[in-house]
Amino acid sequence: MTEQEFDQLLGKYADVVVHIGLNLRKGQRLLIRGILEDAPLIRKVTESAYKAGALLVDVAYTDERLTRIRFEHASPETLTEVPNWILTRFEEYYERMDAELAIASTDPELLSGISPDLITANRKALMQKLEPIRSKYENSSNWCVIATASPAWASKVFPDLSTEEAQEKLWEEIFATCRINTPDPVAAWTEHTQHLKKYRSYLNEQRFTALHYLAPGTDLTIGLPEKQLWQGAEAEFKNGIIGIPNLPTEEVFTTPHKDRVNGTVRATMPLNYSGVLIEDFSLTFENGRAVKIIAEKGEEALRKMIEMDENAGRLGEVALVPNSSPIGQRGILFYNSLFDENAACHIALGNSYRETIIGGEEMTDEEFAANGGNKSLVHTDFMIGSGSLDIDGIRSDGTREPVMRAGEWAIQL
Amino acid sequence: MPTKEEHQELLHKYAEAIVRVGLNLRAGQRLVIYNAINRGIPPAGRPLVHEVTKAAYAAGARYVEAIWGDEEMNRIRLQHAPVDSLDEYPKFHISGLMDMIENGDALLSISANDPDIYNGLDSERVVALQKANLENYKPISQNVSRNAINWCVVAAASPAWAAKMFPDLDQAQAEEKLWQAIFETTRAVHPDPVAAWNEHIKNLRKRADYLHAKKYSALHYKAPGTDFTLGLPRGHKWMSAQALAENGVVFTANMPTEEVFTLPDRHRAEGTVTATFPLSYGGSLIEEFSLTFENGRIVKVQANKNEAILQKLVDTDEGSTRLGEVALVPASSPISKRGHLFYNTLFDENASCHLAIGRAYRFSLTGGEELTEEEFIAAGGNVSLNHVDFMIGSPQMDIDGILDDGRREPVMRQGEWAIAV
Repeated sequence: MTEQEFDQLLGKYADVVVHIGLNLRKGQRLLIRGILEDAPLIRKVTESAYKAGALLVDVAYTDERLTRIRFEHASPETLTEVPNWILTRFEEYYERMDAELAIASTDPELLSGISPDLITANRKALMQKLEPIRSKYENSSNWCVIATASPAWASKVFPDLSTEEAQEKLWEEIFATCRINTPDPVAAWTEHTQHLKKYRSYLNEQRFTALHYLAPGTDLTIGLPEKQLWQGAEAEFKNGIIGIPNLPTEEVFTTPHKDRVNGTVRATMPLNYSGVLIEDFSLTFENGRAVKIIAEKGEEALRKMIEMDENAGRLGEVALVPNSSPIGQRGILFYNSLFDENAACHIALGNSYRETIIGGEEMTDEEFAANGGNKSLVHTDFMIGSGSLDIDGIRSDGTREPVMRAGEWAIQL
Repeated sequence: MPTKEEHQELLHKYAEAIVRVGLNLRAGQRLVIYNAINRGIPPAGRPLVHEVTKAAYAAGARYVEAIWGDEEMNRIRLQHAPVDSLDEYPKFHISGLMDMIENGDALLSISANDPDIYNGLDSERVVALQKANLENYKPISQNVSRNAINWCVVAAASPAWAAKMFPDLDQAQAEEKLWQAIFETTRAVHPDPVAAWNEHIKNLRKRADYLHAKKYSALHYKAPGTDFTLGLPRGHKWMSAQALAENGVVFTANMPTEEVFTLPDRHRAEGTVTATFPLSYGGSLIEEFSLTFENGRIVKVQANKNEAILQKLVDTDEGSTRLGEVALVPASSPISKRGHLFYNTLFDENASCHLAIGRAYRFSLTGGEELTEEEFIAAGGNVSLNHVDFMIGSPQMDIDGILDDGRREPVMRQGEWAIAV
């Protein structure tokens, strides 16, 4: 890639983010959250957003190194300090129905070696502070999550390359999986969205009461709420805008019933949780709750996460992705949920999305829970898909229908 | 060039001096690091921010927040944003900072700005954006100018700024040279920077105390292109390096600092004053300019370059037609002796006697913090969105102090102090 080619692709990527991901409307403001290393893309997105008629593009930059410096140098009891403006920032933008772009390019090893107790305390304080805002404004306006090939992340994905080569390689992966290097990215995304919507419609018609997962180390039954709503690709936000909240995206997903998950599931990829890697782990569920966890690496961090609140040990998302998805096919472990979750079937510990239950956005917390939705400060995806995974859909009369075989869709559309 | 380790060690000592002398950060305080011009710190400030953060936590800081910004985003905005959107402003920045100020937290502004960031852009748009920023920022500048909390302004070298200063060097050399200039002028190169600062602060305070005891009613400036009388209001306080903030912390607001300063009487300035350095304002360089005053008001501006921008600055509001600061710095100051322009007020104002167009600091008038705006104005204090320093000193400048009875005493001769302390 020459510098000029890269600059061009970056510009196209920015246009896809603004026009397809966010579907930014004239007169909206845009809040971008990212790390300092995201600056080259942020500048392109800013230009594209202003050209689309944005009133203001504001960036809330994080310096990851400072995050680590805080853990290393601040007095431990101060790690729960959260300044008010983190809250007022979101309030200002959400109240106006402005758009939000989050960039997830964090260093997967940022906090390695830091005590999980401190990390969990810090995260919990932040999540608790944000919870009221998050509940009040969930999906109220168009948002999107994307990534850039930051140096630390790229070096983790391609440890044998120099930082520069690793970044270039990772950029190529991002451009390919986000369909940026196709002649007409807009047309490519329209076609892809239509494709995912077919699976979404099929699953919504079937009304399965549960899914049964069978794979090496996995024998798990995930109950589905009666009012389950399968989602995927496009989302309609409460401000009426239709966008694509994740770039890339290959998943269709809904919420499990928080009380009806039983059996054992083995993760097929490491999990990057708040800068700590959790590897080779499995969880056993009884009546929805994780009652046993085993991990070769990072077990304590996983345990702390599950103990963060009452429902962090229950599931809040179940997502289906064929093993042959464009991201799965690349055979790369990304150490980043945005990519890894689109390479394989996955489930998430913690919070359920309101839009995955019919009428969920209008329900009280109690009604949402009564319908099987889970409420937690945590929402952590982990991958369970592989070429040896079979999934059956179970109907209310007990009959079974193959949904996936050997990691691929088993349904004919 | 120093080795990487030597550079890191100097950065560390600089950060220590900032936290212990500049901010004098107290255990339990929170600290916000930002950029007073552009809200966010330019990314070039990162290594310094890391060292300051470590030093702050070591001093017992409860929380350190860094607000980052990318100047390039402003350029993109000025080029591509809808014309009528330039007054859009994220209000939470202000409420967030106000929240910290009301809590008694400390503020550190890191300057690393590109002096030419707005070169070639439509100056109408530049001025519109800057005015909107200043207006929104007013609650913060008001609190800072009355020393509500301990605050400090320091600098970090950045590629664009270094290239502007040392155009003949390659980027790495230019940056290192600028860092050296910063380390030397902020005494970070001293074996014990904190002790060196304490000694320097004492020396400056002696000059301020001398002038304070004199209670001059006016100063008269004479130099090529300058014949200028500037009234000083009753109750004016000569200040130097250190000040006492309302939160009880004694701090040093600028690093470096070589000046002794007070506020002029906004109603009493007569004659013409010629600038001796270019003025970098809003990303443009105003060069070879002079201002003529009558009854404290600027009645004529003249500049060989960017006169229109100077005129816009003066036209910002009523207070921008008047002066808010008078500062004395010998022509032999360590910064002046370097013999080059920094294109950054923090440094250039410490190379030369200077004046400021616009807002006066409340703390430079006895009891000024307690006055209403009307009372402050009546007492001779100036109120404005702007506070823009410009340099007038040179080795040809003589300054007399004029006492109440009209007698004159030499204050400076040929750019140097003429007073014995």
